[in-house]
This record gives sequence, structure tokens and C-alpha cells, in this order.
Amino acid sequence: MRIGRNAGTYVVPLLVLMVVAFDVPILLMLASSVLAPHPTVAHWAELVESPIYFRVLGNTFQIALVTAAVCGLIGYPLAYWMRGLGGRAQLAVVTLVLLPFWISILVRTYAWIVVLGNNGIVNRSLMGLGLTDRPVSFLYNQLGVTIGTTNVLLPFLVLPLFAAMLKIDERLLQAAATLGASRRAIFWRVFFPLSLPAFAAGLVLVFILTLGFYVTPAILGGGRVPMISSMLDILINQMPRWELAAAISTLLLAVTLALYGVYRTIAARAA
Amino acid sequence: MRLTRRELLATGSALAAGLAAPGILRAQGVKEIRMIEAGGKSGDSMEPYIKPFTEATGIKVVRESPNPFGKLRSLVQGGQTNICLFELGSTGMEQAKALDLIEPLDWDAIQPEAMYPEAKNPMGFGWQYYSTLMAWRSDAKTPKNWADFFNTKDFPGKRAMQDRPYGLVYALLADGVPADKLYPLDVERAFKAMDRIKNDVAVWWNAGAQAPQLLQDNEVQYAAAYSGRVAGIKGISYTYEQAVLDLAYLVVPKGANKADKAAAMRLLREYSRPKAQLEAAKIISYTGPSPELPAMLPKEKLAEYPTVHREKQIIHNVKWWFDNAAMIEKRWQQFKLSL
Repeated sequence: MRIGRNAGTYVVPLLVLMVVAFDVPILLMLASSVLAPHPTVAHWAELVESPIYFRVLGNTFQIALVTAAVCGLIGYPLAYWMRGLGGRAQLAVVTLVLLPFWISILVRTYAWIVVLGNNGIVNRSLMGLGLTDRPVSFLYNQLGVTIGTTNVLLPFLVLPLFAAMLKIDERLLQAAATLGASRRAIFWRVFFPLSLPAFAAGLVLVFILTLGFYVTPAILGGGRVPMISSMLDILINQMPRWELAAAISTLLLAVTLALYGVYRTIAARAA
Repeated sequence: MRLTRRELLATGSALAAGLAAPGILRAQGVKEIRMIEAGGKSGDSMEPYIKPFTEATGIKVVRESPNPFGKLRSLVQGGQTNICLFELGSTGMEQAKALDLIEPLDWDAIQPEAMYPEAKNPMGFGWQYYSTLMAWRSDAKTPKNWADFFNTKDFPGKRAMQDRPYGLVYALLADGVPADKLYPLDVERAFKAMDRIKNDVAVWWNAGAQAPQLLQDNEVQYAAAYSGRVAGIKGISYTYEQAVLDLAYLVVPKGANKADKAAAMRLLREYSRPKAQLEAAKIISYTGPSPELPAMLPKEKLAEYPTVHREKQIIHNVKWWFDNAAMIEKRWQQFKLSL
């Protein structure tokens, strides 16, 4: 009890800082969608009446969903494989997964142009091998954006998932084996359910992070893949319609929080 | 040369103010002023103006970049007063005026040398002309005008265009609208022409550096690009024919510190000097507002400079774009969603 109270006291300065420097300004900004320049619902009415904003929002969610799915499909087997590796190999692979964190997101994004561009390594190899006579368009479309976001966000899924998998008690798997379960049954009925909460958490994290991506779609999408952050950039820096931007941000936040709520329910059930 | 009395008075007071200004500024205790500009080579090209100013007044100039419009709005609404100059495009300046974010310049204090009339705006000092023009890989078939650019059958290859609605002007020119009949823009017709080309536009660029890079990498063969970005780059050809000429302005954010603003006005006088503009034009191939400048520019690079080709170009119609901003932005987003 005393420890709990003390811990609370220590947290107070940070909490105050967060609320004053972060939460209050955000709330004020979001409130401007109904309060600026005077109390009004005009900005929300404009948002509701303009299908383009919802289409961009829908497009953003679609890309986030695809990115989360691809990250899951690549990330889960990767984390599972890492779990089975020996000490030194494991360290090496963890380093490789972490490596992208040490390189600027801008450099990583431009690197894809070198690799996947019309004159890039991949296209030249494909044409050299005679597999195609015209360069394949990897970039400047939804595929390019998905490749970029997946590359940036994969570690966010793999690392927590890997940590969670390490914590799964080996004896549970052994117990299942002694009871005669096949390897497949052990995985699907024991291991996978135990790793599911961390897996779901990783997927939601990737999904939410993709929603706010700006640099990657701007460069690898070639301006052909509209996402909500570039729309907000136009509304804030070009138009400038901050009130409308605040309304869209509020909507985005609400949807994200709702998704987070869904995730919590699933996670609670899984646990 | 005989001077009239008025000229004598004007010259006299200009001289007096010129001599007195450093004293006044020092007396007000201004040691440095801050400005926000576009950055990159364009920002570097401000040094030929800043250097003589600092030498004459002892005041340092701190440059910050980049200069998105939202920054100006948050500066002014946040009550920030220590930024006395902000660089804006011509349309941005109109928006800023409408939102009451900028205050008039003190042209009496600036006392500029000769300038093109549109550069001498009550609210802004037009310091740098730039063009958005047609550029292409030198190994691609040479286009003559926007009609060729939009003709993907006879001029095969991918295109890159700016991710802003300004390209609608090229669409109308390509569709046969004469340059002097462009405005008010026939938006429907322009978007129809855009529909013809949209599948061949591989990239809609946001940063000025993208267009030359895409051309060099052979990602696209034809591009609309900023003149200063493609001038003098090997392997890229361009034309000022039917290019759009626009002007970047320096404005004073509303509520800027009075003493800083006074110093800024003195700095702007340096921006009007053709000799300094010549130095700036050597750093980046954009041109300053002096009508005397074109004659001074280096002959071998003359073709690179926007104001030299004034006659061939279309002047960006600020008023139309400002009046129609909300409608056109929405139409543009709709168009982008149809890609």
C-alpha cells in the first residue's frame, strides 16, 4: 500500500508535465474544430458533406490493414524462428532486425528507390534474367507504400513478439508432447494461443503507426496514394484550414481509440 | 546631369536616411534579426544580401527553414514577435493577408532601387522570380510545348508533375487555350485534359528536388519542374516556352518587434541591389526583382534565368488562385482519388 502511494507521488511531476505540455494543447487543438472562430458545427458539417475526406480516411485504413497483415505474415514466422536459434545466432539476428532503427527513415525510404526503381537492382536483374522485358512498377503505387511501411514497422511487431515468445514456458510444450500431441497440435493449441496477446498487440501497434505515416507514402507513393497525413498537411500548411484539420484529427483519434478498445477486449479474452 | 528640386530632395533624404539608419538601428539595440525562408540553395542565395547589411549595420541575420504556411500562422497566433521576415509564395501572401497574419512593409524606409512593379507589393517584397517549366531527359524526344507534353502517343514516356493544382494551367494550354485567354480557368476542361494524361504521370511530386532526381534516375522522361532545380544539370533539357513565372515574397509577420522590423526594412534595401542579385543568381538560377539584372547576367548562362524569358511565360494569376482556393483544392483531391 505504502509503496503504491509513493510510486504515485513520484509519477506526479511527469504526469503534470504530460498533461500541461501535451494533453491540454492537443485537446485545445481538437476543440478548435467546434470552437473556432466561434462555437459552430460548420467544420463538422463540411467534413460530413465531403465524401473525399472519408475516402482518404478509408484508403488510409486499408493501407494500415494491409501493412499490419503483411507485417504479421512475415513477422510471426521470423520471431518464431528467432526463438529457436542458439545464443550467438539469436544475437546476430536481433541486431539485424534492430539495424533499421539506427538509419534515418528518409534514407531507408530513398534506399527503396535504388533497389526497386526502373533502373534499380531488382528490375535490372529481372530484365537481365529475361523474366520481363519492361521494368515492373514496384514504386509509386500502393505496393510501393506497403513495402516501405512494412520495412519501417516490422521491428515494432517482431521485437515485442519475440520477447513474449521467449517468456512462454518450455515445460508447457513438453507437457503437451508427453501427452502425445503432434508438433502441429502443440503449436496451434498451446504455443500460438499463448503468443496471441503479444501478436495482437503488435498488429494493433503497426496498424496505428501506419495511420500517421507521412514520409514513406509521400516518397514511395509518388503522390498517387492519398493518406490522411498528407491531407492534413495540405489543410494545415497549404489551405490553411486548421479547424477542418482538427475535425479530421478528432475523427481519426476516435476511430483509433475505438480500435484500441476492441483490441483490449480481445486481449483480455485471450488472457 | 541636372537634378530637379524634387529629385534632389528625394536623393538627399535617401542619403540622409541611409547614413542615419545604422545609427538609429544601433540605438535601438538590435543585435540580430531572425527570418524564416525556404532553405537549401535558395536560402544560401540570400547571403549576398545579408553580408553587406551586416557590414553596414553590425546586425546579424539568422536564417531558419523551411517555411510552411502553418508556421507563419502559429507564429502570429502564438504571439511570437522575434521573427521579422518570412518567405511566402505569391498565393501564400494573399492568404496571409486575408487571415490578417502579415503587416504592411514600410516602403519609405526600404527606399529600394528600381524593381518590377509586381515585386513592390504593399505587403511583401518580391525578392526571387522562379518558373515552373517543362523539362525532359535529353535522350527523350524533344517536346516543344505542353501539347507535346500531354501527347503521350507521339512523346512516349512517363511524366512527373507537381502535386498541386497549378498544373491545370498546362492542361488548358495543351488543350489549345491561348495563353492570354487562360483566366478565369475553365476548370472542367482542365480536369478533362488531366484525365487524358493521369495514367502516364508516374509521380506527383511535392519537393522541388524530386523532379530532377526522377529525370536523372530515368524514372520519368518528362517533368514539370522548378527552373532553378533543372538549370545547368547534365542530361536534362528544358524550355521556358509556356512556363509559369511566379515570385517569392518576403513579408513581415503581424506583431513583429518594431525595432527588428526597422532593421528588416534596411535589409530589404540590400535585396533591391542589382549587383547583389547578380551574386545570388550565380548561387541558384533564380532572379531578383531588378529590371537591370537581365543585362548584367553572365552571357553563357543567360538561358537559365526566369526573368530573361519574361515574354514567353505566363505570369501566375495570384488573384484567381486565391479566390478559388477552397474549390480547386477540393477538386484536386477528388482528382487525386480517381488515380
